[in-house]
Amino acid sequence: MSHSEKAAVFNKNEAKVNWHDKALWYVREKRDNAAHGVKGWEYLRELASGIKANVLSNLDDYLIEFEANALANGIKVHWASSAEEHNQIVSKILEDKKAKKVVKSKSMLTEECHLNPYLENKGIEVVDTDLGEYIVQIAKESPSHIVLPAIHKTKEEVDELFQEHLGTTPSNGNPEYLTNEARKHLRKKFLQADAAITGVNFAIAETGGIVVCTNEGNADMGSHSAPVHIACMGIEKIIPKEEHLGIFLRLLARSATGQPITTYSSHFNKPTEGREMHIVIVDNGRTEQLSREDFRASLHCIRCGACMNTCPIYRRSGGHSYDATIPGPIGSILSPGKDLTKHSSLPFASTLCGSCSNVCPVKINIHEQLYSWRQIITKDVKQPLVKKTILKIAGVVLSNRTLYNIGGKSARFMLKYAPRFMVYSKLNAWGKARELPEVKNQNFDDWYKEKRKNNG
Amino acid sequence: MGREAILKSIKQNKPALLPLHEINLEAFSEEVNLLDTFKSNVELVGGTIQELKKNENLTTEINKRYPKAKKIVGNSQTSDIGTIPISKETEPHQLENIDLAIIKGEFGVAENGAIWISEQDFPIRVLPFITNDLVIVLEKENLCLHLHDAYKKIAGRERSFGLFISGPSKTADIEQCLVIGAQGAMSLTVVLI
Ligand code: SF4
Repeated sequence: MSHSEKAAVFNKNEAKVNWHDKALWYVREKRDNAAHGVKGWEYLRELASGIKANVLSNLDDYLIEFEANALANGIKVHWASSAEEHNQIVSKILEDKKAKKVVKSKSMLTEECHLNPYLENKGIEVVDTDLGEYIVQIAKESPSHIVLPAIHKTKEEVDELFQEHLGTTPSNGNPEYLTNEARKHLRKKFLQADAAITGVNFAIAETGGIVVCTNEGNADMGSHSAPVHIACMGIEKIIPKEEHLGIFLRLLARSATGQPITTYSSHFNKPTEGREMHIVIVDNGRTEQLSREDFRASLHCIRCGACMNTCPIYRRSGGHSYDATIPGPIGSILSPGKDLTKHSSLPFASTLCGSCSNVCPVKINIHEQLYSWRQIITKDVKQPLVKKTILKIAGVVLSNRTLYNIGGKSARFMLKYAPRFMVYSKLNAWGKARELPEVKNQNFDDWYKEKRKNNG
Repeated sequence: MGREAILKSIKQNKPALLPLHEINLEAFSEEVNLLDTFKSNVELVGGTIQELKKNENLTTEINKRYPKAKKIVGNSQTSDIGTIPISKETEPHQLENIDLAIIKGEFGVAENGAIWISEQDFPIRVLPFITNDLVIVLEKENLCLHLHDAYKKIAGRERSFGLFISGPSKTADIEQCLVIGAQGAMSLTVVLI
C-alpha cells in the first residue's frame, strides 16, 4: 500500500485523526515556547549542525577513537554491517550469558533491525519497558512516532489492552491508574531480567562513553538491575567531545516535547564493578546514505521527532502510513535510500512547506531533500504511479485539513486539554484562549468517496 | 563483515574534512538570578523545592515531608536518617521496596532544573531510580547557569556513571496525559541548604 492508501485508512476514524492532529500540534507549540526561552537558540542549532557535519567528514577516525576509549574503560565493543549481523551479535552475547529474559528500553535501531522477533524465535522473552513501546508491543504493533510511540492509541484502547494483558479493572482509560499498573508490572520485569538492552542518544569519541536520555527512567532501571547491559547504536551517534553534549542536550528535549531537558540524562563510562557492558555499533545502510551527497545530512538526525509534530501530512496521516521504522519527514528521506521502489510514495507525502527544516534542531534541509528524491523518483519509477500518488496525497490529507485553521485549532485544543498538562502550565498562557467558533466538519467518508469519483 | 568493512566504507563515502568550530560561550551568557531560575525550573519539571532554614534540622524536615517512609537509604554526608545500610555489594532486588533515598547532589543547572549526581554519591547505581521517593540535598551556592558550564564543572571527574536528573520520572504515553511516576522515582524533593 502506498502512503496515501494507508493514510486513507487512518482517516476513517475522523475524531481520532482530529485528536492526533491537535495533540501533535500542541507538542509543536510547547517546542516553540521552550526554544524561545533559550538565548542563542539559533546559534545552538548552527553549532549542532556544524558538529554533525564535521562528524560525518571524519566518522571513521571518531569511531576508532571511541572504540579505543570504550575498551580502555572495560566496555566490550562490537561492529555490525547489517541488521542481521546486529541481531546475531546481540543474540550471541545473550547466549553466552544464558540470558532468557531481556528488558529493552527505547531504541529505534533495534526496531529497525527487528531484534524482538529474532530473539523471540530463539525462545528469549523481550519486554519493551518504555510505556508507549510496551503498549504497542502488547498490541502487536510498531511505534507510530519515534518519541511518542503510542500516540495513535486512545486511552480506552490502552485500557482494554491492559485488561487483557495485565488483568487490570476497567477504568475508562484512567491514565494514572494504567501507568501505575504498568509500573508495577515492569518493575518485576526489571528485577528478573538477565540482560538489559538500551539505545544510545550520543556516543562521545573523546571519552568512549555513551549518554542515554529518558523521562521514565526505564533505561536506568534495566541497565542497573540486570547483570549485562547491551547498548546498540548507529554509527552516526558519535559526537567528538563531551562538551558538545552541552549543545545537544539543550536542543534535544526542547525540540522533542518542550521540556528543558529529559528527566534522566545518564552518562555511562564504565560497567558496574563485576558486571558487563557491551556496545554494538551498526551500519545497516548508513554508509550508503553517507555516499549520497544530497542526502547525507539526513544522518545528522538526533531523533527528536519535531519534524513529525510540525508536519501537516504526518499529523493527519499517522505514523503507520509511512510503513517504516522512522516515519514523518525525516523517515521520508531515509526510507527511499533503503528501498526506492517500496518507499517511492513517501517523498510526495509532503507539501514542501519547509516547516520540518525550520524546527529541526540540527538544521537538516529536510524539505529540499524531499524535493531531490522526487526528482529521482519521477525519473526512475513508473510515471502513472507517481502522478496518482501526488494527487491522492494532496486529496486525502490536505483537503480535509483546510477545514481548519491552525491557530484556532490549537487554541481549542488547549482549552479542552489544559488541566492535563499541569506541569507545563507556566509556559502556556491558557488565559489567552478565547471562545472559539465551532467548526462544522464534513463527513470524511462521504467527502472521500466523492473526491475519489471525481479524480477517477 | 563488521569493523573493517564499515570503516572502509566510511573512508570511501565520507566528504572532505569539515572544520569543528569552537563554542562561543558569550552567545549564551545571561544576567539571571541563578537560585530563582533554578527553583522555578525544578518546579516546572515536576519537582518540589524545600529550602532549609537556619534553625531547621534536615532529618526532622525530611521526616515531616515523608512521614510514612520506613525503609530509608540515607547518606552519611548529609543526615543520619537512613534505616537500611547499603554498600557496593547490595543487590538491586534488595532495594525493591525502598521508600525513600537521600542523595547529595553535586550541583544544579539553573536553565533546566537538573542536578548532577554521580556514582561517587551513591554506592549502587540503581538507587536513585528504584527508590519510591527521592530527596536530593543541594548546597545553594552550587549552581551554574547552563549545560555548557555544567560540562566544564564535570570535565575533570572520574568517569564511571553519572547523570543529570531533572524532576521525578514521568510519562505522557497514554493520550498525552502527563503522569508523574513512571518507571523511576515517584517524586523528587530538592532540599536546598
Ligand atoms: S530530522 Fe531533525 S527534526 Fe526530525 S527527528 Fe531528526 S533531528 Fe528531529
